[in-house]
Amino acid sequence: MPTKSSAPQAPSRTLVIDNGAYTMKAGFSSAAGPEECRVIPNCMARDREKHVYIGSQLEKCKDFGDIVFRRPVEKGYLVNWEAEKEIWEHEFFEDKAPSHCDPSETGLILTEAPNALPVLQTNCDQVVFEEFQFASYFRCPGPVLNAYNDVQATFKGPARDPAKPVLPTEIMLLIDSGYSHTTVTPLLQGRPLQSAIRRLDVGGKLMTNYLTRLLSLRQYDMRNDTYLVNEIKEACCYVSRDFHADMEQTWKGTRGEKRVPGSIVKDYVLPDYHSRPKGYMRDHDPSTKKKLGVPGEAEDILTLGNERFTVPELIFNPTDIGLRQSGIAEQVMESLSVLPIGLWPALLANIIVVGGNANISDFIYRLQRDIRALAPAECIVRVARPADPILATWEGGAALATNTEALSTLSVTKQEYDEHGSAWVARRFGGK
Amino acid sequence: MIQHDLDANTITMINFGVREELAAKAAPAPGWAYVPDTGVNSSVTASQPSSRKRARNANPNTSSHDTTAKQDAKILRELAALDRESHRDVSIPVPIRHRDNAGRISHGKVTPAVRKILQSQKTFANHLSDYEALSALASALPQPSAPAPATPAIRTPGTTTPHPASTGKRTHRKRDLNVPPVSTPLRRVSTPSQLATPPPLNSESTTDAPMTDAPILSTDGIVPPASHPADNDPLLMSKIPPLPTQEELEKLLAIPPSSYNEARGEWTEEDRRKPIRKFCEVCGYWGRVKCTRCGGRVCALDCLTLHQEDCFTRYGA
Ligand SMILES: [Zn+2]
Ligand SMILES: [Zn+2]
Repeated sequence: MPTKSSAPQAPSRTLVIDNGAYTMKAGFSSAAGPEECRVIPNCMARDREKHVYIGSQLEKCKDFGDIVFRRPVEKGYLVNWEAEKEIWEHEFFEDKAPSHCDPSETGLILTEAPNALPVLQTNCDQVVFEEFQFASYFRCPGPVLNAYNDVQATFKGPARDPAKPVLPTEIMLLIDSGYSHTTVTPLLQGRPLQSAIRRLDVGGKLMTNYLTRLLSLRQYDMRNDTYLVNEIKEACCYVSRDFHADMEQTWKGTRGEKRVPGSIVKDYVLPDYHSRPKGYMRDHDPSTKKKLGVPGEAEDILTLGNERFTVPELIFNPTDIGLRQSGIAEQVMESLSVLPIGLWPALLANIIVVGGNANISDFIYRLQRDIRALAPAECIVRVARPADPILATWEGGAALATNTEALSTLSVTKQEYDEHGSAWVARRFGGK
Repeated sequence: MIQHDLDANTITMINFGVREELAAKAAPAPGWAYVPDTGVNSSVTASQPSSRKRARNANPNTSSHDTTAKQDAKILRELAALDRESHRDVSIPVPIRHRDNAGRISHGKVTPAVRKILQSQKTFANHLSDYEALSALASALPQPSAPAPATPAIRTPGTTTPHPASTGKRTHRKRDLNVPPVSTPLRRVSTPSQLATPPPLNSESTTDAPMTDAPILSTDGIVPPASHPADNDPLLMSKIPPLPTQEELEKLLAIPPSSYNEARGEWTEEDRRKPIRKFCEVCGYWGRVKCTRCGGRVCALDCLTLHQEDCFTRYGA
């Protein structure tokens, strides 16, 4: 039985990739500490001039009108390796790659969404070792890496001792709300409690598409401008603290009794991709509406009322669009329901939310309130988000990589893969 | 569902506790009705994917059904559209010069396995149905000579039938919180040796893992440091249940991952009993008025007028 010590020295540098469907978060880390993390569009894109952009090349794009995307990650899972390889080559392996490395001298930490299909996991392992030939590799569900962040500091508690090696948080409940979906994962010592993982099929894509539909029905046809609608969503949407009151405030009233729109109603000035490359939100001005379509008028404006809060509401009330799932707070309780009740207090007191949707205004407030209403009265409910919920999973991976000993016990080396094969690797990473 | 034809100029409605005065100045238009939103859930289609509690979900309550097959189909269509990557079908091919590493510093020879992976244009849905077909096949096949090892060691006595043929059925989740939850047996084709393989962190290859012999949870450190008025209340302290034993935690951690469909969050029994919120299809406010031609909802006369123009062109007068 070969032991760790007989294996070649573990690579000193680790490439950490949180491979999301919308963006991948990637950068290096080592015992010396994490390096810079880049947020890279995980896509190939083609603009209306037929120019194709790969990954981070998209930042060179000036006109997002009618732009279309091809994404290798579908439903949260890495499905199309032809496209993903193209993006990885461009970002990591080509001579001029922005985060260049030689995989044979580099370790890899790669995230996947929980409950992945075994065939996709095997595909991934084979490409990593047989094509890219990374020296070592740790594949894990993204939520797991968050256990290596300083969770108590996120709850405004005392920060951990930077001199000590990074160890996983003892117990936490991690909610990851991204582009494809929202997952609930209880973690013990950085290990997922698999039977309690729950997925809500509401994510950023669904919300953007829903906003696209509402705007297209009510104002302009935005169906070929989902990139722009996503920006509108990020600029304007918020989670309502009082859905009924906000609904009243944004209603136009009846024919006989018009209401003055409240302060929730905002205008979004659309970009024209010439003098105004980016759109922005501002207070609603009823008089601007009449100028639309007037030649020489420079501004196209969308007015957002209840669209601002009915869109993120889908995470809390999926049945608003007929989706037969309970909302995120109920999913947290469903997750707990299969666990020993003795774990509930610690899990409910340590809920961390990561992923882009955690940035939606008042998301954390509402989630904590909704869970509070469902949880046993004796339990303290604490919900928090890290300083940057989009980078958090990557940061956890980068923290883990500073503890080279811990990482090497979790990783598989190229030599082990060559000796034992991909089925062994799959079991090693906890697959069935 | 009872429909009240509009026969008064002012109608008072109650929507989720919010009392609304509706001032309808115009004469009642034909073909629509005020509908109180007190309907019980069930209006969403039954053909959406269900998950673990498939058997329990099979028969959603059928009382007070106020949707039609046409509306259910519409919801399904709309959900499918909301799931799409883009409005149009797009194809962005990888630049030809890059295929099979041509013109690029290669990582070495492409292995046959990798070549197959790179050439695959299967979608997630393709892979998922492959997986389901394989699982169905595995559960249909008689389990060959796998008596003891096929039943995972984590199984708690009394929670499932030990008969191997029961693997095709999902066990309903137990609410008994004193018993560590169990997973159902694997439905994929698996050899007994695979099933018996302990998870990696317990295997001998990781005996040098620093935490192996340490307790999974210490009793200190998990209580949140932020103080709470009730933290030291002896009455409440005594109510907090004890932590599971080390052995129970190991059993929990040894449960293998659920499948994609099994992990899909439920529509809880309690939520099924709540009324589904209906919104105006024109402006997004509460959908208190129902168009009797198409079943669509609108908020009041302004939106009804707009809706009816659309409705006439779609369904005729
Ligand atoms: Zn309306
Ligand atoms: Zn109609």
